[in-house]
Amino acid sequence: MTSSSAPSPAPALQIADLVKRYPTGTEALKGVSLEIPDGEFFGLLGPNGAGKSTLIHCSTGLASPTSGSIEIFGHDAVSDYREAREAVGLAPQDLNIDWFLTVEETLDFHGGYFGMGKKDRKERVSELLATFSLEEKRNNRTRELSGGMKRRLILARALMHRPKLLILDEPTAGVDVELRLELWHYVREINEEGTTILLTTHYLEEAEQLCSRIAFINGGEIVDQGSSAELAQRFGVGSLEDAYLELVGRKELSRAHVGADEAEAGA
Amino acid sequence: MIRLVALTRREVSRFLKIPRQTVGAPLLETFLYISIFGAALGSRVGELHGYEYIVFVIPGLIMMAFAINAFSNNSSSILQQKFQGAIDDQLSSPASPGQLMLAFTLGGFLRGLLISVITFIVASLLVDLPVKHFYVLIPALFLVGWFFASLGVLVGVRAEQFDDVSFAQTFVLQPLIFLGGVFYSAALLPEPYQTLTHFNPVYYMISLVRYGFLGVADISVWLSLGLLTAATAGLTLINYRLFKGGYKLRR
Repeated sequence: MTSSSAPSPAPALQIADLVKRYPTGTEALKGVSLEIPDGEFFGLLGPNGAGKSTLIHCSTGLASPTSGSIEIFGHDAVSDYREAREAVGLAPQDLNIDWFLTVEETLDFHGGYFGMGKKDRKERVSELLATFSLEEKRNNRTRELSGGMKRRLILARALMHRPKLLILDEPTAGVDVELRLELWHYVREINEEGTTILLTTHYLEEAEQLCSRIAFINGGEIVDQGSSAELAQRFGVGSLEDAYLELVGRKELSRAHVGADEAEAGA
Repeated sequence: MIRLVALTRREVSRFLKIPRQTVGAPLLETFLYISIFGAALGSRVGELHGYEYIVFVIPGLIMMAFAINAFSNNSSSILQQKFQGAIDDQLSSPASPGQLMLAFTLGGFLRGLLISVITFIVASLLVDLPVKHFYVLIPALFLVGWFFASLGVLVGVRAEQFDDVSFAQTFVLQPLIFLGGVFYSAALLPEPYQTLTHFNPVYYMISLVRYGFLGVADISVWLSLGLLTAATAGLTLINYRLFKGGYKLRR
């Protein structure tokens, strides 16, 4: 990534009063406001069904917001979708790659959807295949890849068009330790090169390790945000995990308590 | 333009990856029809509209191959990508609803075109197949192909399971095509079947394509062309609206 863009005045992602109501009546987002400055590594934490994926879907055009606004580097995600989507790379939670395509085609077509010229696509594909150690699989169909390779391909695909905002939806769910650490290494590097990252995860350790700022989302609302230390302090607990448990109303699960209880029982 | 080309290449590369299923099988099927109805039974049928039976059925078979392949390619491709979630890659790209719709339509259209061109070439080698009205034949086949390619897109977008797609093909499409007069001239049917046939849109299509090849039509060429153009345009518009609104594509 050679193009080091000057920091834009507009935030990478600005969400205001976002509401998403599904036709079934479920209100997945109940007026969410969120701002992620350019260059930040931002974590979005919350239990299953809290609205994390819905927020991501609304930001990438995979769901249409019921009301409220989403701006990506100043471009409205609905009315100005072309510019907005060009700036975003999405690595979704599911391994949603097409079985019929080869590794190279997966990246090449994606580049084409984003309007990249042939020469540029070719160079970028080679660059990404090298970065993600997929060179040997270039002409293999994606269904022949291992789970770990599919994960890496999804990340490579999200980066293909050199997005300024990378959205990672639970990138390490069900991933082994080596690959998790490998992915951390990649995304940290990408962030250091200037790409803003929005990460959703269930692994609090992951958020603590990677994110400079974290927001808690629960029941379709942003409940709190700050650095991991700030959050722990605000909830009056010792760790991000305990802050999280306070938030979801399950503080009895705290590992700090478990230790104390055991000590009491032993006495 | 780069976007549309990439989206279309994706669709074409899909069916070219499984050529045995997407090109080989339909070609074999068409030639089985030609051998059964043309060569084996044809000698017993005698002439229709002044043509040997085998020559009479080939235009309908070419059209049927175009229609069914255009339809089934698009309905399966879209449903399969929805199943895998792979379609999100296109939907979250800056491609416009119009580009998405066009590319998905073109995939099956091009597959149908490929199969009907091969069928035409091989059939021309086997029998003396005339092309009487080239300038009617080309728009007629284009419209028929586009109509069924669009219908495939519509069914694929609406479908929630593979059964929805095969239902449309087996219980709606095939009866309409078979009863539209691929293998016979509707003019030979007794009442009320002859009148009923007029409500079958495929009847107008076959009449038109047969006119392009053989110069004989059951109904007015202009009426057929007009109806087919209107139906194809209407269907394309419906699809455009679906893609614009994100119906069953975006959450």
